[in-house]
Amino acid sequence: MIAGEAADAAALGAPGTGEAAQDRATRLAVRARRPSGAALLALVLGLAITAGLAVTAAVLYHHNERRLLKLRVRELSLVLSGATQGVQTPLASAAALADATGGNAARFRTLMAPYAGPGRQFASVSMWPLGAGALRPRVTLGTPLARAATRASHVSALARRPGALDMVGLLNESPPALGFGYALGGGAGSYAVFAESPLPADRRSSLEQNSAFSDLDYAVYLGRGQHASQLLLTSVRHPPLKGLTASDTVPFASSSLTIAITPRGSLGGGFFHSLPWLIVIGGVLISIAASMLTERLAQGRMRAEKLAAQLDKLAAENRERYIEQRSIAQTLQQALLPSQLPRLPGLQVNARYVPAQAGGDVGGDWYDIVAIDERHVLLVIGDVSGHGVEAATTMALVRHAALAYIAEDHRPAAVLAKLADFVGGGEHDYFATVLCALIDVQGRTLTLSSAGHLAPLLLADGSGEYVSVKAEPPIGFPHSAPFREATITVPPGATLVAFTDGLVERRGEVLDEGLERLREMAISEHLGGDDLLAKLARDLTSDDHRDDTALVSIQWQT
Amino acid sequence: MADVDDSANSPPLGIQTRADAAGAPVIAVSGDLDISGVERLRGAVAEAAAQHPEQLIFDVSDLRFMDSAGIAVLLVAASSVPSVRLLNPTAPVRRVIELTGLTDVLRVEP
Repeated sequence: MIAGEAADAAALGAPGTGEAAQDRATRLAVRARRPSGAALLALVLGLAITAGLAVTAAVLYHHNERRLLKLRVRELSLVLSGATQGVQTPLASAAALADATGGNAARFRTLMAPYAGPGRQFASVSMWPLGAGALRPRVTLGTPLARAATRASHVSALARRPGALDMVGLLNESPPALGFGYALGGGAGSYAVFAESPLPADRRSSLEQNSAFSDLDYAVYLGRGQHASQLLLTSVRHPPLKGLTASDTVPFASSSLTIAITPRGSLGGGFFHSLPWLIVIGGVLISIAASMLTERLAQGRMRAEKLAAQLDKLAAENRERYIEQRSIAQTLQQALLPSQLPRLPGLQVNARYVPAQAGGDVGGDWYDIVAIDERHVLLVIGDVSGHGVEAATTMALVRHAALAYIAEDHRPAAVLAKLADFVGGGEHDYFATVLCALIDVQGRTLTLSSAGHLAPLLLADGSGEYVSVKAEPPIGFPHSAPFREATITVPPGATLVAFTDGLVERRGEVLDEGLERLREMAISEHLGGDDLLAKLARDLTSDDHRDDTALVSIQWQT
Repeated sequence: MADVDDSANSPPLGIQTRADAAGAPVIAVSGDLDISGVERLRGAVAEAAAQHPEQLIFDVSDLRFMDSAGIAVLLVAASSVPSVRLLNPTAPVRRVIELTGLTDVLRVEP
């Protein structure tokens, strides 16, 4: 508790000089501006989660894009393969016609004229008789792009692969072109057809806007691989393609084509393309918000802790006030008790009052020792039921009434009877146990009467016993029987110890055990007077005893 | 404060009111009865006494401890009801009653 209070005081700061207060305020402000660890942690965690999600989304996105791109390149390959037919069909028809007509030029022209010439499928189409010495075209439609010798060398190769569409690259010609040849037979009487398909000088070509592939950039190469020298067509200004690409090689005529594509935008849709960035933006915003919220909570908690510390301090102050109040009440009680005890020759009188510790209340115990004359002393010790100021005021009332009756008549039974009449019974709910004892110093006699009070202990010659006196009902209870008195003679040097029940009452034990404990302790050491009372008060009233206790000792010195 | 201390090391005070076969109120008091519990018992006694019964019975067979504050409540009962009986007091309770001269006032049985 003490440590806690010290910590509270440190947290709140003891009220100090203005300078110290300002310093404290500055410290608090600095503390308030600096974000708490929890807020930073929330921010870092949020950002980490955001990063993880964004990366995952990006990876998934790219994986998906690659998959879609592969699908597209396969589709494109199929389209390209299909294009073979578009070339082979007219050339094969022309070769068949030439074979069938013995190389009839007019029929050939009629058939192939729609295919040859500027803006048509082929720049030139020519018919070559085979097996007749030097190869020379019989008919040429359109304008040939390659030199005659070049074309002748390709046609001679055709004779070795009859019935198959042949494709050659004429990429060094101007303009560059692709050559296609077809022959049905290889020997004499057969005819070969050779066509040239021009390519754009810069190889640039774009697919139609609304085609199924308008979302792709592409590059088509002759043969396998993507060598710049073999580039046929591309949609980009600076081949090769960069970034995410997919490629496929498809057989085409006697050769093959390699097609490479790259997406112009996002194949899976703009949303999935943007998703990682959306996650990043959203995640960062959420992280900042979470961090700010955490910070706010942390600040709230700090304020709550501060408040708790203040409450602790208030509680401590209340405790102090309570203790102070209790000590005031005890001072009051002490003030009600006699400040001076009578001093008679041959008699030593001592008294003590021990307030209750646990309850913190004043009690209703009291004592009075009144000198009647040179040789008589009257002892009154009593206990008003209850605690608190009410009990204390009742005690004061009963006590002063007793003092008044003592002045009239000092016989104990008479004092108690008058007191009982004064207090009456039935109209109130308090009671008082009272022991009244008249002491004759020279005569060494003791006359006592008890209204429900515990009998006193008489110590003599190292032994002790309780005075035998029949207790009548307490004061405050209506009764008809008169109070009885007992008179005993005491040995020289005897000590009478009168007390209230706080000294002997213990929870869960028979009262006799407490009485026996007191008796043994009183005779264990040959103490007298205040030393004896001090020892009894110290050893018999524990730190948490709940009842107040009054103790009186009267010792004959003769 | 006293109540808090009380609960730490002693059996709680139990107070239950019932009626016996003849209809007389019986207040069963158990545990420890000291200053911290007398207000509750005082309330139970006032409630029972409000019916103006001929007698009021305290069943104190499970009352371990009673101090002078408890005695005071029994005396309040004895002064507001014609007859008060105390059933089966334990030794500590019986002794407190004897030493305070109340054996005749509170009819202790047996």
